[in-house]
Amino acid sequence: MDKWICVICGYIYDPAKGIPGAVAPGTAFADLPEDWVCPECGSPKDSFEPYTE
Amino acid sequence: MSERLTPAGRIEIDGRIFNPYSKDFIRNPDPSWQVLLRDYPIAWHKDLQMWLISSHELCDRLLKDTRFSPYFGHWEHAPPPKAEADKNDFDRAYERGFFAVTNREHLRLRKLTMPAFSRPVMGRIDAKIRDLVVGCFDEIGDADSFDAYTALAAKIPVRAIARMVGVPTDMEAFFHQFAVDIIKCTRINIGPKEREAAMRATLPGFEYFKTVIAERRALPHPGDDFIGNLVGAVENGERLDDYEILSVIFALITAGSDTATDLHTYLLHALLSHPDQLALLRQQPELMENAIIECLRWGSFGKMPFFRFAVADTEFAGQLIRKGQGIGVNISAAWHDPAKWPDPTRLDITRRLDGNIVFGSGAHFCIGTYLVRVQGSLMLNEFMRRYPDATLADGTGDIDYEYTHHNARRINRLIVRTHLRQRQPRAA
Repeated sequence: MDKWICVICGYIYDPAKGIPGAVAPGTAFADLPEDWVCPECGSPKDSFEPYTE
Repeated sequence: MSERLTPAGRIEIDGRIFNPYSKDFIRNPDPSWQVLLRDYPIAWHKDLQMWLISSHELCDRLLKDTRFSPYFGHWEHAPPPKAEADKNDFDRAYERGFFAVTNREHLRLRKLTMPAFSRPVMGRIDAKIRDLVVGCFDEIGDADSFDAYTALAAKIPVRAIARMVGVPTDMEAFFHQFAVDIIKCTRINIGPKEREAAMRATLPGFEYFKTVIAERRALPHPGDDFIGNLVGAVENGERLDDYEILSVIFALITAGSDTATDLHTYLLHALLSHPDQLALLRQQPELMENAIIECLRWGSFGKMPFFRFAVADTEFAGQLIRKGQGIGVNISAAWHDPAKWPDPTRLDITRRLDGNIVFGSGAHFCIGTYLVRVQGSLMLNEFMRRYPDATLADGTGDIDYEYTHHNARRINRLIVRTHLRQRQPRAA
């Protein structure tokens, strides 16, 4: 599954890890709720882009 | 009376409630913040001539609300727009920069620049600036005591940013002054003459970077460093123009040099005044990032708030904010809001910091957030390695502040005792 980066703050969502205490590991970015916001800066989901290292 | 309700229901306060210039406030701000948080989470400040927003909930909400802009040109007292022919490099870079452009353009700029600021890239910066940090500690050596401000805080941030941007070492002082002048250009808490003088003083700095950008554009490959990445950045076939690149450089240096000065003094002050927390960090170095954010929250070094400007008449938290009025987003107070942070004056490096606004919130979230963490961890790791028994001199560090600083409660003296000389004979 692809990683996604918040273009506002640089936070990287890694579906393999999820977000401890909030999003289960294995949750694809597309499956996050539409009102989900970046845990780092609070920006909306459409501030994210696919991320390749 | 320091507060009154106007016929329109506007809540008003004045300098008797909140005076960011007073020495008492600079030395001990929490009592003022608690009054604001309890009684005036939003109020019009008659002396500062701006709204003051102080609660965590309202600061967070306002920073994400696009009806409030960080663009100085929206301020009711901003100088009138200049004719195109009269604009200088500062004007052009500012107009093309993060604070001034539309939301769509802002997202484009962030997309083009974020790769240069992401966590993995900043992780690699660690290797690029480590020697600068080590060098500052080498200069301290095994002294019995040192001033954390002059030995570390005044040197590391500006040297690190200069290294990132590729400024030669012998131009660091010039570069630091460039950063300070850029910040002053749009501060609404200083007078128009001082702002204008600061703007003129930035022009040689812009000229320097324009030359660097032109040189890079002339190369077959612009380079893999920070400026090279900006010159080479492409999004849907579009590149950054010169003024957009200048605006990114000026965003980086304003956030990363003068502001980051306070990072180092406040980190050391927080941990050395809480030896239990410093010991915990030594035992659990994986807490480093959390510790840095918690120390910044606890120390809350801001004096003046962030500024925003209403782009239209807007009702917010029951108050009518008129188009063009300035709003001070008092995030330093918000970092001590007991509604968000139980026991806010307690330093706890294990504290859950979810939803913190230590680096702001929303579209203008601090672009240098990972750089701050890298720089702070490098400094703290080196400090802990070299000075395992360090304490604040006389228990207080003989702390003093630069009371006239335009923006921060700047600590300009913090004496650290290393206790190395007592330690060495024992070891021998």
